[in-house]
Amino acid sequence: MGTEVVALMGLAGLSSAFALVSLVLAAWMAWRIVEKAGLPGWTGMGAILLTLTAVGTIVPLVLLWVFAFMRWPRDTAVPFAASAGPVPTGSPPPPPGNTATARPTALPPPPKAIPDARRWLLTGKLPDGQAVALSVDASAPAWILTGAPAGQPTELSVPDPSVGQPHARLMVAGARLGLADLGSPGGTYIDGARLLPEHGPRDITSVRTLRVGTVELTLSRP
Amino acid sequence: MPDTFYYLLSWFLGIGSFVMLMVLIGHLLVSLVLIIPTWRICERAGFAGAWSLLHLVPVIGSFVVMAILAFGDWPNGEATAEAR
Repeated sequence: MGTEVVALMGLAGLSSAFALVSLVLAAWMAWRIVEKAGLPGWTGMGAILLTLTAVGTIVPLVLLWVFAFMRWPRDTAVPFAASAGPVPTGSPPPPPGNTATARPTALPPPPKAIPDARRWLLTGKLPDGQAVALSVDASAPAWILTGAPAGQPTELSVPDPSVGQPHARLMVAGARLGLADLGSPGGTYIDGARLLPEHGPRDITSVRTLRVGTVELTLSRP
Repeated sequence: MPDTFYYLLSWFLGIGSFVMLMVLIGHLLVSLVLIIPTWRICERAGFAGAWSLLHLVPVIGSFVVMAILAFGDWPNGEATAEAR
């Protein structure tokens, strides 16, 4: 009988010791966590120690939810604000309620992306040795490759019998360049692959070479 | 006699299964109440919110989550001493 009593007391003592160590450990970690969020450390430790009182675990649980969704002082203190200079014009100030998601290390985004105004160059040589240099830019949404002399500002002439009249259409959309074959017998090739009219427009922004008829053109964007 | 034995055994097994199921459901509900705020705290600190799922591990899971938050460097930044 005495053995059982001693064993039970030992178990109770072990449980109490484990509970005590757990409580101290949890209080210490809670102190550190709330301090990292910018709150006084004793608030976290106090929330854990409340489990010793009659309110049990309900109040610490409520406090955990409050802590998770409240505004942390860490988010309102922006250390680099003093040295960052004036806020660029055009970027509106953040709304007051949005400070919870602000990060101290994040810079405001640029007010507007700089448009890419570079043009595309199509360069090559005709079979007779004559050089061809065609320029495509965003001043027109569509350009026509033709074997005939250019009659319009948006026509690009490749004077060769193998090039159709018209041969293909180049389309500019922002920073992208597209190409559609117009069904010429000479054919259109993108990096060696045949482009047919039924393929529709293809994105050739990152393409290196085009072939219209027998004329090889190199696409570049200086 | 054997009939009585099997009768009682089936009762004990049934009650035991029911109690285990209730314990499991209760554990999941309590874990959920802890996981939701902890998920948000982890994300605000810069950790993956999935760390909060450690609350599902009985006894030590909650301590592991707290240790990660307490002793790990917060990727989203920590409050400076003067801010406190």
